[in-house]
Amino acid sequence: MKGINKLLERIGRGVGKVVGAMYQAGRDSVDQVIKNVLPFMAFISLIIGIILKTGVGDWIAKTLSPLAGSLLGLVVLSIIIAIPVLSPLLGPGAVIASIIGTLLGTQFATKAIPAQYALPALFAINPQVGCDFIPVGLALGEAEPETVEIGVPAVLFSRFVTGPLAVVLAYFASIGLYTK
Amino acid sequence: MQALATAAEWFIGLFKAGGETFVGLVTGIIPLLVILMTFVNALITLIGPEKIDKVGEAAGREGLIYYPIRYMILPFLSVFFLTNPMAYTMGRFLPEKYKPAFYDSAVSYVHPPLGIFPHVNPGEYFVWGGIATGVEQAGYRVSDLAIRYLLIGLVVILIRGIVTERITAIMSKRSAASEQAAAS
Repeated sequence: MKGINKLLERIGRGVGKVVGAMYQAGRDSVDQVIKNVLPFMAFISLIIGIILKTGVGDWIAKTLSPLAGSLLGLVVLSIIIAIPVLSPLLGPGAVIASIIGTLLGTQFATKAIPAQYALPALFAINPQVGCDFIPVGLALGEAEPETVEIGVPAVLFSRFVTGPLAVVLAYFASIGLYTK
Repeated sequence: MQALATAAEWFIGLFKAGGETFVGLVTGIIPLLVILMTFVNALITLIGPEKIDKVGEAAGREGLIYYPIRYMILPFLSVFFLTNPMAYTMGRFLPEKYKPAFYDSAVSYVHPPLGIFPHVNPGEYFVWGGIATGVEQAGYRVSDLAIRYLLIGLVVILIRGIVTERITAIMSKRSAASEQAAAS
């Protein structure tokens, strides 16, 4: 009898833990979606709507697409975004990367830019990732003030090299992707 | 009067197009996002994110074989289990000279997994989602792109970690030298 009781208790505890974890996970996910994802979707939809209806899309297709539809163009784009003075300004909230990504997305959708440039484009719009957040990120890692002093310029300079490099790498990694 | 009505129609049309896009995004992305995030978040709670602390302790060692651990495996696990921005707290296990490189590596990995593991950074989903939606609308399978983004991301963060570690070393040598010069 005692054994059975113990077993039942253990099962009860186990189930309670799993159900509790899942319920909390559901709550966290819904919170995240309502607080962070939906507002951004509204904002992105507004931009897409305006682009589609005003003819800005055609203008983008003529000016931006040739740039984004070639390896050289994407490398140039990534170099501009990775300039050490610009990159911390372009970083916050990944808003700029999302907007450029969405603009390019509308061009991928109409096939104005061939789909095999999607992978290098993902890296070309994002060499500034986290450049606005370096001191905070290092502080989260419990770094000394001296480390932060050196770390900020070190990361910014590194991006100037690795940003374009990532685009080239992604270009060669997308061989065989969406060729048909 | 006629012109005014046409203008009003055009004006509303701008937002109608936006609204249609919004509905597409909400019905297309949100359901999957919510369920997938619920699953992964529950999994992380049940596994216990503190288990990756051991990897953090191992990653700070000298030697060539620790580069991939420090700038590939540790950032991946940190981002997956702790998500943005808590992933950067894993830097506390590393010596000071590796911290900027680890941050660079980890922060560069908060977007590449978004196509498969959106829980790592749902607030910045559109860094991936903008281009992915376009590719999908053109009639291609997005998962091919998602997998390559995730894998090439790992290679990129390894390179980034190594380059930033070198630059940090050079700069700290230089600042130490200039401090000495100022002192003497």
